[in-house]
Amino acid sequence: MNDHLLSLMTFFPLVGMLIILFLPREADRLIKTVTLVVTIIVFFISLPLAFDDVFATSSAMHYTEFVNWISVGDYFQMNYNVGIDGISLWLVLLTTFIMPIAILSTWHAIDKNTKGFMALALLLETGMLGAFISLDLFLFYVFWELMLVPMYFMIGIWGGKNRIYAAVKFFIFTAVGSLLMLVAIIYVYYYSVQAGVPFENGFSVVHFAQMDIPAHLQTWLFAAFAFSFAIKVPMFPVHTWLPDAHTEAPTAGSVILAAILLKMGTYGYVRFAIPLFPEATMQFTPFLALLAVIGIIYGALVAMMQDDVKKLVAYSSVSHLGFVMLGVFAMNLQGLSGGLLQMINHGISTGALFLIVGFLYERRHTRLIADFGGLSKVMPVFATIFLIVTFSSIGLPGTNGFVGEFLILVGAFESELRIFTVFATTGVILAAVYMLWMFQRVMMGKVTNPKNENLKDLSAREVTIMMPLLIFIFWIGIYPNTFLDKMTPALENMIKQVKGKQQIAMMVEDMDQTVTQVTVND
Amino acid sequence: MSLLDLLALLPILILVFAGTTILMVGAWYKEPRPLIAGGILTALLAALAAGMVEPPVSEIAGLFSAGAYARFFTILWSLLAAAGLMLGARFVEDKKIGAGEYVSLVLYGAAGMALLSSATHLLGLFLALETFTLAFYILIACNRDCEFAAEAGLKYLLMGAVATGFMAFGIALIYASTGSLALPDAVTQLTTASGELHAWGLLGWGMILIAVGFKISLAPFHLWTADVYQGAPSPITALLATGSKGAVVAALVGMLAVSGPIWHDLVELLWLMAALTMLVGAFSALTQKNLKRLLAYSSVTHMGTLLVGLLCQTSAGLAATTFYVVVYVVASFGTFAVIASLADKRGEPMTFDDLRGLGYQHPVRCGVLVLLLLSLAGLPATAGFMAKFTIFHAALQSGYIGLVVIGVFASVVSFAFYLSVAMLLFKPDESASSWHAGSSLEHAVLAVCSSAVLLFGLFPGILFDLIGRLLP
Repeated sequence: MNDHLLSLMTFFPLVGMLIILFLPREADRLIKTVTLVVTIIVFFISLPLAFDDVFATSSAMHYTEFVNWISVGDYFQMNYNVGIDGISLWLVLLTTFIMPIAILSTWHAIDKNTKGFMALALLLETGMLGAFISLDLFLFYVFWELMLVPMYFMIGIWGGKNRIYAAVKFFIFTAVGSLLMLVAIIYVYYYSVQAGVPFENGFSVVHFAQMDIPAHLQTWLFAAFAFSFAIKVPMFPVHTWLPDAHTEAPTAGSVILAAILLKMGTYGYVRFAIPLFPEATMQFTPFLALLAVIGIIYGALVAMMQDDVKKLVAYSSVSHLGFVMLGVFAMNLQGLSGGLLQMINHGISTGALFLIVGFLYERRHTRLIADFGGLSKVMPVFATIFLIVTFSSIGLPGTNGFVGEFLILVGAFESELRIFTVFATTGVILAAVYMLWMFQRVMMGKVTNPKNENLKDLSAREVTIMMPLLIFIFWIGIYPNTFLDKMTPALENMIKQVKGKQQIAMMVEDMDQTVTQVTVND
Repeated sequence: MSLLDLLALLPILILVFAGTTILMVGAWYKEPRPLIAGGILTALLAALAAGMVEPPVSEIAGLFSAGAYARFFTILWSLLAAAGLMLGARFVEDKKIGAGEYVSLVLYGAAGMALLSSATHLLGLFLALETFTLAFYILIACNRDCEFAAEAGLKYLLMGAVATGFMAFGIALIYASTGSLALPDAVTQLTTASGELHAWGLLGWGMILIAVGFKISLAPFHLWTADVYQGAPSPITALLATGSKGAVVAALVGMLAVSGPIWHDLVELLWLMAALTMLVGAFSALTQKNLKRLLAYSSVTHMGTLLVGLLCQTSAGLAATTFYVVVYVVASFGTFAVIASLADKRGEPMTFDDLRGLGYQHPVRCGVLVLLLLSLAGLPATAGFMAKFTIFHAALQSGYIGLVVIGVFASVVSFAFYLSVAMLLFKPDESASSWHAGSSLEHAVLAVCSSAVLLFGLFPGILFDLIGRLLP
């Protein structure tokens, strides 16, 4: 079974989708159950990956599968080439882990056209898993685009009042980026064929290290990739689709969007943009780090000013993902593993926050902070869980957020991004300000609004949804090595390759300068 | 013309003679069903003949090729005619249109398209073009109950007449400067011994290009498209949007493949035209509130993309263009087939009000429509993605980076309008009314179109290798 574990995991949701399409539309409960069961089965299929110690010792791709898919003449090849290493491992598991939770959260929230929603959710899962396990650049692109469509419909059909606007905005932003990336992909491919890079196995991640794209081309190609990924992350100033999409999306949509889809952007940098264009990465690092820091501070400041809880959480994502980017571009082991860990953390804690907002909205049909107050007296269990998640989002020691942010800041401080780190640190303080202030206004004090007096505390289903997330908040917070150990070899290998190429490039540049100076002196 | 020539012409002869027979029979025997069944069988037989009977000569009377490439398109257009008749069956019956005329005109049209795709001589090109255009003049206006039909027919006639004029004049100029109408002489002779170009000859090619621009609606010659698409009944729009345009593009591909670069100094002009066509089509489609008009403008964008492929003038570009033509034909035909299958006494559902929430009334067909629209938009896993991809790939190889960026931009815009239709179909709306359940013939057409889109999307190699072998 290990030979095809990844394929089984990726395409099982598709099978589930087909089953759902044949169920009667009225069988609401049945459809939800089938979807839940399918996502849980997928999680169990993926579970052996978490216990495989091979990732802790080897940086190579594992569980690889390779099938020749499309070949056109001698100039184009696209293969079904999949596999995972320490970089994608936890993101794959995060996806399979979050999906059942997201589905369970829709139990009462989605009551119209359940069939369509569940079918799209399963299609989305296939798209996301496929994108994380793709080793072929074209295959990655196929899955990358495949994710857009279900999300677009989820926001557009099951969303809030402004759903059409939000859905179109989401789609246009991401489509612009991804099509630019497509052009860049075609160009890289075309260039490599011209340059005679061997492509017996298609355009695979494994080959990136052998490629040598001239610096002036790298600049443009990296810009195209970086732009596409930056939209997805989202980085300042192309983040504007995010608050709209999040506010309008149904709870499950927000959870999936925040927990997994946003990670596609940062994952794209780590897996594709940086290894493909190491020299251009060097050029762009200060610029991207600057944008990341602006995103951290700007996201936090805007979050502070929100009167809608969901918008606040959405803007906090901008801030948190800024940290991830800073860690990634620090280009050392602490920074990168911190960044990667923070991707998981953000998935867990922001996913949890959106669920919490969903609980509130289901009870009161409002998300305005001013409508709440003193809820901790009425809903003690809810208050406890909310507080833990808030702490995790702030990054209190003992929770997952602390480990990730700390590693990122240490990594960035040790790299040439030291000056940016100083400013980024304020983001940690600001996060405490906006989260705690929000918590205080919603949960503490007296119950001022009579409508809040008789709110029901969390049901067993809701506690079940939150429990796994809470476990991981503490697990990662207290013993992160379970996760870090398996990332390290793959990251070390990547850093070695990228740094090596960057050093060669710098040496060549120095030599050129020396030559010019010599000529001038003559 | 020898017997061998006639044997090579067999598929066309089948179409034309059986078409005439059906026309004659139809004058006395008014029952539509047998006549249409006869037409469908004829078209299938012609496709079979084109596929099975090895042509004894490679060129027919110096006008048309009988090579593998020509045969491929003969098969494609014959099948398209069969599918078009399958869609038209219910329409002809309901509207009490003379079945004999309808069937024979569709068959003549298919013959014209097949000849056009195999033209190796400018005269052959002209004759074939006129053959199917004449058939369409009538077919477009055949629904006399529809207020837009007569207008559409007249518009197409006037534009067609102008195009014919340009074409004839262009051919005359080329003959004057090269002394030949046969390809590749009409191109190679353009260059004089001293390496200079004949100005008159180039002007002639320019005029042919204008005529082509009218036929496949390149901007700024595209203005007739939306009105004609809207006015014509969907079974005919389906043929008009796919066959008539595809055949012209196929003819251009054939000409380029035989005679090498023909555009010399016109490249800058064509560059502009391609860019303009893609952008104008995409932005005009964005504001439409009628599916058929939207599809009309979207077809303009597609033609612009095809022009990018033609501009490459390389074998990769031509292969990509041919692939794109086939994929576009299948997907676009399918979308009109969905509209046609939903049509009932009230007419066809085409305004956005008609479409709102339709997906809950007719889930399967609306699902197919979404799939086809996604293919037209060029989303991965559908054939449209590979089509667009190969065109852009070829264009980058030929150095048209600017056009690729514009094409990508137009694609993003077209994503917006294709997806807005898809969303509209599945908008929760209780007021959506139910339309015709569709005949089994129509469902068969839809099944073929949607499975072809998926098949060529997941395994494009099948079609691509075939095209690679076919190109002359």
